Amino acid sequence: MLEPSLDLYGETYERVEAVLADLLVKCHARYALIVDLKGFVLVHQRAVWAPKPPSLDSLATLIASNHSANVAIAKLFGEDAFRETVQQGADVGTYVEELGTEALLVTVFDGSAALGKVKLFTKQAVVRLLEALAEDHGPPPTLDLDEAFSDDAAKLFDGLFGKRTQP
Amino acid sequence: MSTINFSAREINFKLVYYGPGLSGKTTNLKQIYEHVPGDGKGEMVSLQTEDERTLFFDFLPLDLGKVNGFKTRFHLYTVPGQVFYNSSRRLILRGVDGIVFVADSAPNRLRANAESLRNLRENLEEYNLRLGEVPYVIQVNKRDLPDALSVEMIQAVLDPSRSVPHFEAVASEFKGVVEPLKAVSKMVLEKLAQKA
Ligand SMILES: Nc1nc2c(ncn2[C@@H]2O[C@H](COP(=O)(O)OP(=O)(O)OP(=O)(O)O)[C@@H](O)[C@H]2O)c(=O)[nH]1
Ligand SMILES: [Mg+2]
Repeated sequence: MLEPSLDLYGETYERVEAVLADLLVKCHARYALIVDLKGFVLVHQRAVWAPKPPSLDSLATLIASNHSANVAIAKLFGEDAFRETVQQGADVGTYVEELGTEALLVTVFDGSAALGKVKLFTKQAVVRLLEALAEDHGPPPTLDLDEAFSDDAAKLFDGLFGKRTQP
Repeated sequence: MSTINFSAREINFKLVYYGPGLSGKTTNLKQIYEHVPGDGKGEMVSLQTEDERTLFFDFLPLDLGKVNGFKTRFHLYTVPGQVFYNSSRRLILRGVDGIVFVADSAPNRLRANAESLRNLRENLEEYNLRLGEVPYVIQVNKRDLPDALSVEMIQAVLDPSRSVPHFEAVASEFKGVVEPLKAVSKMVLEKLAQKA
C-alpha cells in the first residue's frame, strides 16, 4: 500500500481546508499551507484579499529545509527542536508550527495582522487539524497503476524536453 | 516514499543528484532548467556560496502533466558535494525516491567519487535505506576532459558488479543529461506501480 505523508482525502481534506480558511480569517493572514517535511505542499488556502502568492513549490521546499536545518541546530545544543519559528520582514512574515511528525503548518502574514494573533490562532489550528486527522475516515482510496503508467510517464518525459507526444 | 495527494490528485517524487564537489550536479539542473519549456518547469532555487558552490541545495520542480488522471511531478535536488557540508547532504536525502550519482571523470577525482559514494551509503543508513533499495543510476560526467579516465575504470570503483545503469555525459553541453534523469524516473515510476 502507498503511504501518503498525511491521511488527507475525502471529508478530512475538506475539513482541513475549512480549518485553514478559518485561520486566515481569524488572524487576518494571507496564506496558510500544510507542507510535508519533504517539501511538498499538501493543502493551501489564500485569503480573498491577498495578492498572488510566490511559487508555492519554492516556498514549501525552503520552509521544509529551513525547518530541518533548525532542528539540526537545536540538536547540536541538546534540544529536540526550537519552540517556534518566526521570520519577519518589513512587511511580510511567516510563522511555522509542527503538525504531527510529518508535516508543518505555515501561516504567511503581513503588516495588517498582529503577530500575537497569528501565533495564537496557528497553534489553535494545529490542535483542530490534528483532531480532524485523528478521526476514522475510512480506508484510503486505492491508486490503480499498471505497467502503462510508467510507459505513459516516460513518453511525457520526452515531451518535457520539446518532443511533445501525448500518450 | 512518493507523496500522493489523493484529493488534489497529485503524485510527487523527489530525485536527488549526489556526487563529489564540482562533479557537475548543479550544471545538470541548470541545463534541465534551460531546456525544458515554460509550462514543464517551476522556478529554480539555488542556495549557494558567492563562488557558486552549492551551500545547501539546488531545487527544480518538473511537471510531467497527467498520468492516470494524476498530476505527476518530480522535484529535483542537488546536494553540496564539498566534504564538510555533510549535515546538509543528509537533510536533503530525507524522503528521496531516486538518485543520480554524478561522477567526475578527472583522474584526480577518482578517490573523491568513491568517497562520495561511501558517504551516500552512510547517509542513507540514517533513514534506514540501502542504496540497493533506492532507484539509482550513475552519470559519468566530464567525458570531454582530455585526460578523462576510462568508463571501465570508474565503473570498477563505483559499481564493481556492473549492476547499476550508467550514462556518459558532458553536462555543461547538455550531453547525457536527459538520459540518466529519464532512466531513474522510469525506475521510480515502476517501483510505485509495483507497490500499488
Ligand atoms: N569540462 C567539463 N566541465 C564541466 C562539465 N560539467 C560541469 N562542468 C564544470 O564543472 C564546474 C563545477 O560544476 P557544478 O555543477 O557547479 O558542480 P557541483 O557538482 O554542483 O559542485 P558542488 O556544488 O560544489 O558540489 C563548473 O565550472 C562547470 O561548468 C563537463 O561535462 N565537462
Ligand atoms: Mg552544486
